[in-house]
Amino acid sequence: MRPEHGPTRPSHQLQIDHVTKRYGAATVVDDLSFTVEPGRVTGFLGPNGAGKSTTMKILLDLASADGGAATIGGRRYRELVDPVRTVGVLVEANAFHPGRSGRNHLRVVADAAGVPSGRVEDLLGLVGLADAADRRVGAYSLGMRQRLGLAAALLGDPPVLVLDEPGNGLDPQGIRELRELLRSRTANGDTVFVSSHLLAEVEHLADDVIVINRGKLVASGPLSDLQETASLVRTGSPDTLRTVLESAGGVVEIHGLNALVVRGLPIDEVGEHAHHAGVVLHELSPHAGSLEELFLDWTSGDSRHDAGTPEREVVTL
Amino acid sequence: MPWGFLAVLVTLSAINAIAVAFGTDMDGSKAFIATAEDQQSLVGFAGNAMMIAGLFGAIAVAREYGHGTVVPTFLAEPRRYRAVSAQFTAVLVGGGVLGFAGAALTVAAVALSLPATEFGFLMTAGGVAQVLAAAAFAGATGALLGAGIGAVVRNTGGAVAGAVVVLVIAPPLVVQLASEAASWIPNTLNTVVSGITTEVSVVAAIVALAAWAIVPAAIGLVAVQRRDVV
Repeated sequence: MRPEHGPTRPSHQLQIDHVTKRYGAATVVDDLSFTVEPGRVTGFLGPNGAGKSTTMKILLDLASADGGAATIGGRRYRELVDPVRTVGVLVEANAFHPGRSGRNHLRVVADAAGVPSGRVEDLLGLVGLADAADRRVGAYSLGMRQRLGLAAALLGDPPVLVLDEPGNGLDPQGIRELRELLRSRTANGDTVFVSSHLLAEVEHLADDVIVINRGKLVASGPLSDLQETASLVRTGSPDTLRTVLESAGGVVEIHGLNALVVRGLPIDEVGEHAHHAGVVLHELSPHAGSLEELFLDWTSGDSRHDAGTPEREVVTL
Repeated sequence: MPWGFLAVLVTLSAINAIAVAFGTDMDGSKAFIATAEDQQSLVGFAGNAMMIAGLFGAIAVAREYGHGTVVPTFLAEPRRYRAVSAQFTAVLVGGGVLGFAGAALTVAAVALSLPATEFGFLMTAGGVAQVLAAAAFAGATGALLGAGIGAVVRNTGGAVAGAVVVLVIAPPLVVQLASEAASWIPNTLNTVVSGITTEVSVVAAIVALAAWAIVPAAIGLVAVQRRDVV
């Protein structure tokens, strides 16, 4: 997947505005609001069943919301004048007729969208499927199907990409090529919105992250800022300090014998709470946690996240 | 899929040819091909066309959901009524072609097998044209009916079962409950349009057959508009 370089074009912001989706009694997306900015890769994270795919389908008008609205550049997907040239989509890795060849599938999609068939050959080369283009899609591996899905998403050379788990099944080379491809798109000012459960992939790829859990937003903002929202504290009284900080609203993890990682409280407040409690600190410093640590913190099932308790404060930067 | 349906048509026409060449009535005669009317009744293919095309329409639409290929379709054309209307139109044309091809093969098979008997090909050109046109119309309406069921059921097996229920199982049951409905079930209507029987007028039969197709197609169109795609 070699990066494509196109001319500068209009940018599109994605807006999810108080979207709610219910299936029967289950609320899958619950009053969810966030914005995806152009020129940045935005990772969309959440545990299985958090509502990521449903949110993307609502954005793409493949599913209807019970409340709220999702727009692309201020318009609903169905209101877009030329959707294939505006939004490139990968939402179903297996949305292919297994008896068609990869080339034939792209030609069908290109015909439906009014895209010149010459673009099909370009994209087969771009995603590394030129040699397998005439094989039946039913014989493709998952990674090859993902590449074909990406080629279909890029057919209209759109300024917006909405990709649901694009790294699934890709080998390390494919992941790296995907990263380079998406980076090249944002360099042009394109909007790239990517859901993934591969945290390491997102950590390397995303500028911003949006994290949802049980259909609700739990964190959003630049990944680098979110990773620095924790404080590392070393003290001889870790249990006392933990109690103090948790009662003040912090989320505290014990690291080793005498170290705590504190989230949800600014670093200066951590120091002040320790001072008021008479706890001696040996170290108090910013802690850049891994995305995995942060993700587990944001989405873990502790009592602070359970329904029926006061709602967890959204981490927004 | 097209080759499978073509194979069915060839098989049915071959069965007709064998019946003409070797078959007899209960009394051992070949009275069933003795007159032009008998031969028109034999080659009347509209009933078969509606059934076969119904299955074709149901499979063609339902498997779009099964394979997920409806997703790129609706992404390319998010105004779903337009995409579905185009799909239904394509299926309708395909069903019409299937019906016409089936009738043409049957007429040809019977014509080719008649020299093996003491009877010649007695049908008029008008009779042949009516049989072909009726089969094409029945194929088109059957395909549209199946497409509507496929859009509602969205599962290939379920859509096929639905088409069989609507076209084969339900009509005789309805006639059992209300005998006056016998003139308005697809098989009767198809024989009228084919010029084989005269239970109702040809125009009324055409309108009624169209209704058999348009009602499920309209329900399918509304269902696709209202429901989530995936």
